[in-house]
Amino acid sequence: MMRSLRNRRKIFALATGAAILAAGAIYADLQIGYYSAGNLGGIAQPAPPTLQANDAYIVAAYPRYPLTLASGEGEQDAAAYCNTCHSPNYITMQPPLPAATWEAEVTKMEKTYGAQFPTDVHARIVSYLQAHYTPQTRKAR
Amino acid sequence: MDENPSECTRRSLLKTLGIGAGALIFGNFLDQTASAQQAPAKRVPTFTGPAANPYWNSVGEMATYPQKVPLVLLTDRPVQLETPRAYFANAITPNDAFFVRWHLEGIPNQVDLSTWRLRVDGKVNKPLQLSFADLVNKFRPVEYAAVNQCSGNSRSRFQPRVPGGQWGNGAMGCARWTGARFREILDMAGMKSGSVQVQLEGLERGKGPDGMPSNEYKKSLDLNNPVFDECIVAYAMNGEPLPMLNGFPVRLIVPGFFATYWVKCLTNVRVLDKPDDNFWMATAYKVPDTPRGSTTPDDVKAGTVKMLPINRMPVRSFIATPDGSTKIPAAMPVTVRGVAFSGYGKIVKVEFSDSARGAWREAKLGEDLGPWAFRAWEISWTPARPGKYSIAVRATDEKGNVQPEEGVWNPGGYLWNKIEREEIVVGASA
Repeated sequence: MMRSLRNRRKIFALATGAAILAAGAIYADLQIGYYSAGNLGGIAQPAPPTLQANDAYIVAAYPRYPLTLASGEGEQDAAAYCNTCHSPNYITMQPPLPAATWEAEVTKMEKTYGAQFPTDVHARIVSYLQAHYTPQTRKAR
Repeated sequence: MDENPSECTRRSLLKTLGIGAGALIFGNFLDQTASAQQAPAKRVPTFTGPAANPYWNSVGEMATYPQKVPLVLLTDRPVQLETPRAYFANAITPNDAFFVRWHLEGIPNQVDLSTWRLRVDGKVNKPLQLSFADLVNKFRPVEYAAVNQCSGNSRSRFQPRVPGGQWGNGAMGCARWTGARFREILDMAGMKSGSVQVQLEGLERGKGPDGMPSNEYKKSLDLNNPVFDECIVAYAMNGEPLPMLNGFPVRLIVPGFFATYWVKCLTNVRVLDKPDDNFWMATAYKVPDTPRGSTTPDDVKAGTVKMLPINRMPVRSFIATPDGSTKIPAAMPVTVRGVAFSGYGKIVKVEFSDSARGAWREAKLGEDLGPWAFRAWEISWTPARPGKYSIAVRATDEKGNVQPEEGVWNPGGYLWNKIEREEIVVGASA
């Protein structure tokens, strides 16, 4: 009884093997089960808020995402001052821009939008942006 | 870096043969382990430039926000999200996939409709305070489909690149909007003679000092512009309340015009007797008074360019599928799909081409949802031989405006509308 079962298993294994061999020979360029080693990260789903039948219409808090600023001298100034009005990731969203454009952008934030930076902070933010975000200096992250 | 797929399989096959039939069952298992160690996951780059963005969409992460499916993240505060390409195979963009663009970080999370009012004042005989229920019940509902497109849509195509939101093509969408006719609301208030513009303001607020554009976002429309009679104050979008990020409880719909005028969470309407000189009208959102609004960096530097407030959207069309992410087998008919629209009137023709110098063929137009809507189009395409194809689409509107081959350049990154192309690789199929 046991032996015949084992035999049957052996025959089944051989038949399966032969089938896989045949399949391999026919579909030589078939590829299956190809997964990458790393991952690209995931983003959690925000939970919906609890709703009540009153006149207040609400949505959950708007999620923030990690800062992507390059490390270096002036990073803290850029992170702190720019963050008053908007995420410092506005910087990293930009394409590489010429040094003069970054100077003009920082001046625009002060003159047009009313940002208030001490003079040394203005200089530090401009040099930080020029040191990391021009066509010559920007590096892939 | 990537392991060549066929080589990988060949190697596993050899390995399997060497080990013999007994190990065959484990062949797959070993193969998986091997490939997992060889190919790191790759993402699109985190930024593009100084060349033009080569991708259809912007390159940000996919991010989830309340009432939204995952969208392409430009910035998280204020929120700016782009709609992925696949949604543009259809004429109506779902609310939960509709792009999001705010100027200032103070975006409402909660609106109390017992206290919220649409205020109409300024040069009027009878100032109004209308509740949400007033807007729904006291006015005859008007509904039409209209395209909402950010002025800076496709800014990342500019050469040289310009600062600003680096949108791909997905800062646009088309919805069915339902609301009260703006003109009827103003008639109820009674505009005084000598009125020239109506100023619009919503709940959006910024952290900047009072009186600065970083504190408030305001736009104005000329009373004598024909678009004025088309505007509605919309309380429904595709038959549902507006998502908070798209302007709940109401937003102004200005069909044919860029989204900068479609003020979200509209709360204040002020009738003015002189043109609005606030920053968002006088300085921002201006385009050169030149053909197609195009100029050069040198002319801007020289200060010779006269600028006007941006208004109507030039004619555009897009290929949603195929998107070039996979090969197409030769001699197989595929359906090419997309949308077209123009701020100058209805789309009358969409043409398709499959080579750089090739003839244009007319595509089949989908249902006509009105002059301000996306017009879906499709065409069957059978690439005969393997190779690289550049497929293109070009739309014509009822005023005879046709998309050109050349791009534009202006300092704001506005009015992009050149013919869109997609590179398609056609493989052998026999």
